[in-house]
Amino acid sequence: MNDKNPRVIKKIQKTFAKMSFPNIEVSLEGDVVHLEGSVDSWDDVVRLGYQAGKFKGVGEIVNNVKVKGIVPKKEARQKKKLTTKIYPPKLPKKADVVVVGGGVVGCCIARELSRYNLEVVLLEKEWDVGMGASKANSAQVHTGIGEDSGTLKKELCAKSWPMYEKLTEELDVPYLRNGLLVVMTKDTFSGKMPSFVGNFLSKYLIPPFVVRKGKIVGDKPRVVKRKELLEMEPNLTPRALVGVFHPGYALVCPFRLTIALAENAVQNGAKVFLDTEVTGVLVEDKKVKGVVTNRGMIEASFVINAAGVFSDDVAAMAGAKEFTIHPRKGVILLFDKEMESYITHQVSLLKFPRDPHTKGGAVLMTVDGNINWGPSAVEIPDKNGREVSKEEIDWVFEKYSSALPNFPKSSIIKFFSGIRAPTYKEDFYIKPAKNVRGFVNVAGIQSPGLTAAPAIAELALDILREQGLEMEEKEDFNPVREGIPIFEKLSSEKKREQIEQNPLYGKIVCRCEHVTEGEIVDAIHSPLPAVTVDAVKYRTRAGSGRCQAGFCGPRVARILARELGISEEEVMQKGDGSNLFMKSKVRKRGGKHA
Amino acid sequence: MHEVDVVVIGGGPAGMAAAISAYESGIEDVWLLERDYWVGGILPQCIHDGFGNFVFGEMLTGSEYAQRYINKLRETGVKVRPNTMVLKIDQNREITAVNPSDGLIEVKAKTIILSMGCRERTRYQVLIPGSRPAGIYTAGVIQRYINIEGLMPGKKVVILGSGDVGMIMARRLTLEGAKVKGVYEITKTPGGLTRNVVQCLEDYNIPLHLSHTITNITGRYRVEGVTVAEVDSELRPIKETERYVPCDTVVLSVGLIPENELSKMAGVEIEEKTKGPTVDEQMQTSVPGIFACGNVVNVYDLVDDVSESAERAGKGVAASIGGKLERRKTPIRVKTGRNVNYIVPQIIRNKNLNESTRFYFRVKETEKSVGVVVSANGDKLLEKRERIVRPPEMVRINVPPDTLDKIKGDELTIDVEERKK
Repeated sequence: MNDKNPRVIKKIQKTFAKMSFPNIEVSLEGDVVHLEGSVDSWDDVVRLGYQAGKFKGVGEIVNNVKVKGIVPKKEARQKKKLTTKIYPPKLPKKADVVVVGGGVVGCCIARELSRYNLEVVLLEKEWDVGMGASKANSAQVHTGIGEDSGTLKKELCAKSWPMYEKLTEELDVPYLRNGLLVVMTKDTFSGKMPSFVGNFLSKYLIPPFVVRKGKIVGDKPRVVKRKELLEMEPNLTPRALVGVFHPGYALVCPFRLTIALAENAVQNGAKVFLDTEVTGVLVEDKKVKGVVTNRGMIEASFVINAAGVFSDDVAAMAGAKEFTIHPRKGVILLFDKEMESYITHQVSLLKFPRDPHTKGGAVLMTVDGNINWGPSAVEIPDKNGREVSKEEIDWVFEKYSSALPNFPKSSIIKFFSGIRAPTYKEDFYIKPAKNVRGFVNVAGIQSPGLTAAPAIAELALDILREQGLEMEEKEDFNPVREGIPIFEKLSSEKKREQIEQNPLYGKIVCRCEHVTEGEIVDAIHSPLPAVTVDAVKYRTRAGSGRCQAGFCGPRVARILARELGISEEEVMQKGDGSNLFMKSKVRKRGGKHA
Repeated sequence: MHEVDVVVIGGGPAGMAAAISAYESGIEDVWLLERDYWVGGILPQCIHDGFGNFVFGEMLTGSEYAQRYINKLRETGVKVRPNTMVLKIDQNREITAVNPSDGLIEVKAKTIILSMGCRERTRYQVLIPGSRPAGIYTAGVIQRYINIEGLMPGKKVVILGSGDVGMIMARRLTLEGAKVKGVYEITKTPGGLTRNVVQCLEDYNIPLHLSHTITNITGRYRVEGVTVAEVDSELRPIKETERYVPCDTVVLSVGLIPENELSKMAGVEIEEKTKGPTVDEQMQTSVPGIFACGNVVNVYDLVDDVSESAERAGKGVAASIGGKLERRKTPIRVKTGRNVNYIVPQIIRNKNLNESTRFYFRVKETEKSVGVVVSANGDKLLEKRERIVRPPEMVRINVPPDTLDKIKGDELTIDVEERKK
C-alpha cells in the first residue's frame, strides 16, 4: 500500500466513517485513490466512489468495493466461433497498433490510424461493431452546452461537432441538423419557489444564460418567444414559456456511423476481427508487447484500450487499472414513424435542480423519422444488464409526456437500453497508462462520446505519437466510403436505375421500412460483412419498423443462410448462442423462396 | 402510367375473393398486387382445418381453402402480380408499386380495393419488459417457420395469449416435438374460439392459465426463461404470485391490428374501435372509389366472413364503375346499442340494394339467451335470438334491402337485449 499522501487518505476515511462505512480501506497510487471493502448495496458502492472523487488532488478512483454476498457473474466462454464462407478470420501474428473495442470510438481511432502506413488491427468481442453503447444512445450531435467548463468532455465535444457535416458526407452516413430547443416551462422551478418568481426567472434570466453557453461552444443560439415556439412545435406543452434554439444540434445514425468508420478503416487497410475477445495483455519491462485473445495472440507495441464499459477490465489485464467504470443504464422508447411530423426539433425541458448524472435526456428523433424519448439514468452493477423494466418504461414515458402531453403511448414500437461507461470523476479518461508504455486508455466515454469521437481519436493519435509510434502518411488514403443505397429514399428515376442494375432492388423484404433484398445482400457482402440478423438490421433497417421483423424475419434469415453458405440453424440474431432456430428432426419442406 | 379499372392490393383470402367477385361482376380489367411470391396470404401456412364451413359447407384446411380460390382466380382474366409491393397510394387513386421484373410501376386506378389484411401485435406493443434475446416470436411467424420453411423455432415454449393462432400453435409445436409449458391469458376468459380451447389445448394436456401474464423475459442471447404472475381485476400483476418458468421460446398471440398504413396514406378515415376504414354496405371507404375488405377493415374470426366481405367489395366496385348505385338522400349511421362494442359496416349510403346487408358486430360482455334487435327511430325493425354471445365470437345479422329502405332518419341501432324467460 502506498501512503505518500496520508492527508487525503485520512480525509476520505473520516468522511466514510461519518457515512457509517468505517471499514473501507483507502489507499493512494499517484493521484488515484483505491477503495477496498464490502457494503450492503450497489448504491453504497457508487456513493463511496463519488465521495472519494470529490476531494482535491484525487485524479481518479479505482473502486474495488464489493456488495456483500454477491459474486460477480462470469460469462461462460463461448465455444463456437464465427466463421462463414465470407468471413473466415485468421489473426495476424503481429501488428503495429491493436485497438481493443469496436465501438464508435475504437472504430474512429482505427480509421484515423488507417491514414498512416501502419498495420492496424481492431478487435471486437461481439459479432458486429457498435454493439455496446454505440448502438443504444440518443444519437445526438451535441455542441457541448451540457458539459461543465474545464472538462475534457466539453473541450472535445466543442471541437468535434463542427466536424460532423464533412465526416458524415465522406462516410455516407445519414445526418440531420434540425437543432435543439431548450424549453423553459411553468414547471422549470416547480415546488422550489413561488410560481411568479420561477416564471420570471425562466422567462427573463435563464434564456440569456443559456444563449451564452451556446456561444461559448461556437453555436449561434437565439431566444425563441412563446408564440414562435408554439409555431415551431404546435404539439409542445402549453405550459412552455420560452425557448432557446441551438441550430448547431444535429442527429446522426450512431450505428451506421460506427459501421461506416469501421468499413472505411478496412478499405484503407486496417483489419477488423469480430467475435475476438481480448483475455489478456502482454507486458514486459513496463512496456506493452501484445494481446491474447480467444483466437490467439497478436504482438504489438501499441495497444489502445477503447473497450467501453469493459475498459477497466482490459486496463486491469495490463496492470493499468487507474479508474473504475460504474455502468449506468439508459432506457429509450422508440415510436412509430406514423408520428414523424408530431415534433420536428429536438426538445429538452430545463428543470432545476438538475440531475448531475445525465444531461436529462430529451424528446428526440432518429435520422430515419422515428420519434424517441430518453434516455433515463440508473446505476447498475451488471455491465451486461440491459433488461428494461415496466417501471422504467413508465418512468421515461411520464417524464417526457410533460413536453408532449397528448402523445399516444400506443405508438411505442420498441424499447431498449444502453450502458454508459463513466468513471467516478465523470469525465473522459484519455491517457497513456502510467506504468505501461505503449498502452493507452481511452475510457470513461459517455455522453457526449458519440459527438466527441473524432476529437477523441485525434487525441489518442497524439498520445500514440508521444509514446513513440512513428506515423507516416499514406499517399492513397481514401476518406470516402460509399454506403448501401437506401432504396426508399431514392427518387423514382434512381429507383428504376437501381432495379435495372440489380433486380433484387425491386424486391421488398422489410415491408415496414421498404428495405429491398438488394440492400440486404449488399450489406452481407460489404467491407465489414453483416453476419447476423441484427447486423443486417443496423445496416439496412430491415426489421426495425413497426412489426419488428414479424414479416421480414424469416426472409432475412434465409437470405443470410444463402449468402453466408450456412444452414438456417446457424443463423444468429446477434452473436453466438442467439440462434433463431433449433436443430430438429422435422423434415424440411419446400422453402425454395427467401 | 397504366390505367386500370380495379386494383386490388393484397392477395390473401380477401384480395382473391374481391378480385374474382369484381371480375365475375363484369369488370375485366382487374389487377391483383401481392407482395409475397404467391397469393394466398396467411392461408397456406394454416394447415389445420376449420376453414370453409360457411362458404363451401365443408371443413377444409387453410391451404385447401386458398387453393379453391387460386383455381377460381386462374379461370378469370385477373392479372396477378406477385412479389409486388405497393409503396404509395394517393387520394387520386394513383399507385406506386415495385417488383423485380417490372421495376417501378405507376398505375392510375378507377377503383382500388384495399385488402392488406392485418399484422400481429409484438412484444413491444404490449410492453412486456425484460431483456431482448432471440427466441421471442409472434404466433403467425412460428407458424410460417414450421409449416412453410420447415424450421423449428424452439423446444421449450411458453405462450402468451389465448387467441386462436396461439392455441393452434400450441398444438402444432407439441406435434413437432416441442414442450409447451403453458398458455397464459391475461383476461378471465380464453381469447379464441371454444373449439380451439378443446381441440388444441385440452386434447393435448396443455395447461391454460387464465388471469395470468408474463412480467419479465430473461436471457442475454437466447431466451432462458420468463416470469409469470397472476393479475388482479384491473389486469395488474400481483407481485406475490410471480414465478419463474424456464423456457427457450416465447410465443405471443396478443392480438392483430389491421394494416392500414396505405389506407391512411390515401386519406381513408379510420375507425377508433376497429382500427380499420369506415365502410358502407358496399365496403366503400370515406374516399370515393376506394373500397376495403377482409381483415384490413376489422379482424374477422373466420376466413369465410373475410371472403363474404370481399365478395361484397367486388360487387361494390362493379356497381360503382357501372354507375348502378342509388344514393340515399341522407346516409344512415349505424350506432352501437346495449352491449355492442362495434359494428361493420358503419354506414349505409345507398338504397334499392339487390341483397341483404350483413352486419357483423362484437359484444362487450358474454351474455346468455339474448335478442339482437335492429331498430331505427325507436321502431324495432328486426329481432334475432342468440343462445349465447361472447366477445371473441362475432355476431352476424342480415337486414333485407326493403327494411333498410323503410328507414326515414339517418340512424340505425343494434342492441343486444336480455330475453325475459
